[in-house]
Amino acid sequence: MSRKLTSLLLAMLVLAGAMSLKTVAAAQNNGAVMMANGGAPVPPPMMANGGAPVPPPMMANGGAPVPPPMMANGGAPVPPPSAQ
Amino acid sequence: MPGSLGYAIWFLATLLEVAVVVCAIRRRSFSRYLCLNLYMFFSFVISLLRFQFLSHFGLRSSEYKYCYYYSDAVLTIFLYLALITLYLNVFDEMKVEKYVRLVAVLLLAGTALFSYGVVQQSSNKMLTGFVYELSQNLYFVGLVLTYVLWGAILKLRETRAQLIQLVLSLGVYFSAFAATFALENMFPSFQFFTYIPPVFGCLLPLAWAYAFWKLTPDARIAPARLAVVPH
Repeated sequence: MSRKLTSLLLAMLVLAGAMSLKTVAAAQNNGAVMMANGGAPVPPPMMANGGAPVPPPMMANGGAPVPPPMMANGGAPVPPPSAQ
Repeated sequence: MPGSLGYAIWFLATLLEVAVVVCAIRRRSFSRYLCLNLYMFFSFVISLLRFQFLSHFGLRSSEYKYCYYYSDAVLTIFLYLALITLYLNVFDEMKVEKYVRLVAVLLLAGTALFSYGVVQQSSNKMLTGFVYELSQNLYFVGLVLTYVLWGAILKLRETRAQLIQLVLSLGVYFSAFAATFALENMFPSFQFFTYIPPVFGCLLPLAWAYAFWKLTPDARIAPARLAVVPH
């Protein structure tokens, strides 16, 4: 049983490492694709059908101001960043 | 449409993919590295299929896009299985095949679930988005797994030259793609990166063909030539 749990732990560790690496590699993502099996020319990404400009995200319904982030617990004013 | 240089690199890569399978059959290593050779064989078949779609519909057509990205996902899964074959070969004396297979299945399922989780929040083209995301995520899983395998080879003092050559060339391949992907994101205006992935698509089958043709399965390298890992 412990070996099976170790297998699960290893799989999750590798997955977490791989996704972290992907996040780092795609930190400045501009829509580049990483497709590389064989030497065929890479077509434009699937999601970018046509050349129309990308619309704003779906969440932005209406023109109301965006509320403060959920992390700001309490109503105290946010201090300015500390000067170096 | 790709230029003549693009077609030349693609043609060379396709030839080298056939060369890997032929060399493996001639040296009787086909069944030993079955998934790895199947990956190369299907890569060759899919190259022909992609050429048909490209010549009929063009680079920017939906048909070529679907053909390219769906076939890429299939090939990436085969590449993942090829990597697991290398794991099974490295750990064959430790009798842990059952656990290696269990980790491989869990990892593939975990990657698929993660990809589904990403896609179902952000895409209306579920299947296409899933295939695309799964392929990208499996590349990075393969990259990490190759580094882990190289660590195991150093730790276990593996000396089979052919196996080491196969693993190292796969590690260079994955690392080069990750580096190109990161650089392409940092410098999107450089057209230079267009030709890098197809060139690496040639180098991997070249290294594997060399490994099958020049190195016998029982050839050993001197342990002193490997890096020493403290216990």
